Amino acid sequence: MARSRSAAKTTPRPPRSLAWLQGLLCGALIMVSPALALLFGGLLAPGLVTLAIDHIQGKPVARAVLMSGLAASVAPARELWLAGLSLDAALVQLSDPLVLGTAWAAGAAGWLLAEVAPIVVRLVLDMRSTARIAELRARRARYEEEWGLPPIE
Amino acid sequence: MADLANATEPGLPDRAAPAGASSGLIAQEYAVEPNRPLHGAGGGLAAFMARHHTAAQSELMAVQVRPGWPPRAGALAHLAAATIPALLVPLAHGPGPAGNGGEAYYVICRPPPGPSLATPGRSWSEQELIDLVLRPVAAALEGLRAKGMTHRAIRPDNLFSAGPGEPAVLGCAWASPPGCLQPAVFEPPYSGMCLPAGRGEGTIADDVYALGVTLLTLALGRLPLAELDDATMIRRKLDVGSFAALTGDARVPPMLSDLLRGMLAEDPAHRTPPSMLLDPAAARQRRLAARPARRATRPLQVLAVPVWDARGLAYAMAMQPEEGARLLRNGAVDDWLRRYLGDPILSARVEEALRLRGQDNGEDESRADAMLAMRSVAALDPLAPICWRGLAVALDGVGPAIAAAVTSGPQPDRARLQEMLEVEAIGTWLTGAEGRADGMALRQQARMWRSWLRPRSLDGGMARVAYALNPLLPCASPLFAGRCVARLSDVLCALESISARADSRRLSPLDAHLAAFLVARQDFAGGGVLVADNAAGSAPPPLPVQIAALAALQRLDPRPLPGLAAWLAEQAEPTLQDWHSRTRRESMGRQLQACAANGQLGRLLALLDDPEARRTDAMGLRAATEAVARIDVELHHLQDGSSERAEVARRLGHETAAAAGLIALTMTLGLAALG
Repeated sequence: MARSRSAAKTTPRPPRSLAWLQGLLCGALIMVSPALALLFGGLLAPGLVTLAIDHIQGKPVARAVLMSGLAASVAPARELWLAGLSLDAALVQLSDPLVLGTAWAAGAAGWLLAEVAPIVVRLVLDMRSTARIAELRARRARYEEEWGLPPIE
Repeated sequence: MADLANATEPGLPDRAAPAGASSGLIAQEYAVEPNRPLHGAGGGLAAFMARHHTAAQSELMAVQVRPGWPPRAGALAHLAAATIPALLVPLAHGPGPAGNGGEAYYVICRPPPGPSLATPGRSWSEQELIDLVLRPVAAALEGLRAKGMTHRAIRPDNLFSAGPGEPAVLGCAWASPPGCLQPAVFEPPYSGMCLPAGRGEGTIADDVYALGVTLLTLALGRLPLAELDDATMIRRKLDVGSFAALTGDARVPPMLSDLLRGMLAEDPAHRTPPSMLLDPAAARQRRLAARPARRATRPLQVLAVPVWDARGLAYAMAMQPEEGARLLRNGAVDDWLRRYLGDPILSARVEEALRLRGQDNGEDESRADAMLAMRSVAALDPLAPICWRGLAVALDGVGPAIAAAVTSGPQPDRARLQEMLEVEAIGTWLTGAEGRADGMALRQQARMWRSWLRPRSLDGGMARVAYALNPLLPCASPLFAGRCVARLSDVLCALESISARADSRRLSPLDAHLAAFLVARQDFAGGGVLVADNAAGSAPPPLPVQIAALAALQRLDPRPLPGLAAWLAEQAEPTLQDWHSRTRRESMGRQLQACAANGQLGRLLALLDDPEARRTDAMGLRAATEAVARIDVELHHLQDGSSERAEVARRLGHETAAAAGLIALTMTLGLAALG
């Protein structure tokens, strides 16, 4: 019994899915403001698609796309708020190519950043690593010369 | 015993040259002329003209010491410039230039007054012998006896006369071990059977014996018993007595015959003393009731040699120890002693030797038999020398015998002498020769010699004993080939001059022979370094030990020795590789050169033998090893961490993208809130 309890303690639990919470929030938003839900649904469509297809743990790409899309959706949402949160106003906003293009472009920028940033960071880390290796090799060579130690294999 | 006593005396005789070879003068007074030999004047040794450096007219003689035959340190010390009539006393001694361009050891004395008496075919009259030979030589012997010395080289070719009617003068006998140049016929049987260099100082009675044989030789005009080999001649002397054996059928004048009977007595205590020989008429009347040796009714055959008395048996057993031991063990000797010789006392002594043989059963059988033969010889003949495996050596002749064996003697003699020391035969010999010497002192002496021998290899150990027992034996190191280094004070000078030769500098400056030489000189404190290191074996001692010993020697004479220091520095260069730090090695190399130029060996030693620096170097190596290990781990980590870095980069990139989005969202929210 004790063994099974300790085994249960050591086995990592799978992360809890928050899909139900997201569904609940979406449902609440649709119930409270269908126009706002429609606007966000249209403007954040790339992010939602990415959220569906991003299988990386923590969905980092989807988060970047959604964050960028949200940043571009603040102004249209404000306009909709000022227009009384009507469905017409939401459709007007969605039909505006500038609004829709801006939001989707922001999402694309977020996606691009999420793809490029790891490459840049990798380049930086590799450069630092190469420099450190060179420094260590030089130090080792000095030790070898001074103390007659064998070279590294 | 004089050599033994002298061997332990610190210092050297006063008249010895401190650095004769360097100045070319012996005792800083006498110059040798090696291109002017004096043929036949050295009593068997090469002799040359010599002069006092301030008095060009003074003609002297320099007798050259033969390699391996050390001069008589005791006699040279006690007789230096003594006034003894009819004797060439030593004036000084030391190394000097030799004819071959090298060096040799010389003893300086006056030259003989004329040719030697060894003129074949001439028979001297009785009156001539008494007036011109007996009286002056007896006076010389009396002078020697008063000083506790012996001559041990009395024979016709070492007696000199200025011309017809002139008294004879005894030649030089100080440049070689006592009696070593004497034909065996001039020696009593117990001395004649010894190794030539091992006859020992003996007593003045042995000189009287030699004088007797000399008188007989001159009277007959020929050497008696010349047709016999030494062993047969000694057996003849033992069989019939020396007088009868030597005179044989010859017609000897009656007075001379009476004198010779006393001079050639078998027992040295019965021989006429020199003081009595000064008055031949009185000496002739001297009668001692010496009991003739007991003779057996039947001979004992020892390897087909018939033996008739105890001394003859002792001699046969000394020369044939294996056969003697066999006869002892099977009881033939005991039976012969009791039944045919009728001597139960001797029989009891032999039984005691056999009993001791029984106690040696655990040892090597051959060695136990040799010990049995040695004890039995001593028991049978109270005059016999130490007899070990066919070698005979007088008790006080062990030192010169070892010197001769170590430097130039045949290998078997050296091995047997070494074995004799290893088994402390001298201490054991006393059990058969009680009453002849101080047993306790000799046992201690034997133990000490063995201790000198024990921790060393064959050459090193024997060499040490040879040098210790012969204070004037020059060092036989191959480095000193052509040189004569007999004193500590000469060692550094010789090494300094040798250091100029490129071929010598490939060798070690302190080889096994020189190490043994230094250790043997007991007045040299630096010898302790070598003993402590136990390094005077066949291989040279480690370099720091060599430098320590030579530095200790330099403290006695602190003159700078740049050549020797450079030589040692060269030898030390390979040892610099022992230092781990390259910087320290380079620094040490520079300091070595500086020390070499300075010529002080102590500084060289301090540089090379620095425990603190060694510790620091070892600690530095340890720290470096640890640091390199850490570097290796880190390098390994960096080289193998590509995938890890990729993961980190991916995570950091995504976080960066998310953070950028969040910042943008925050900014737009802020702008929206501000309207």
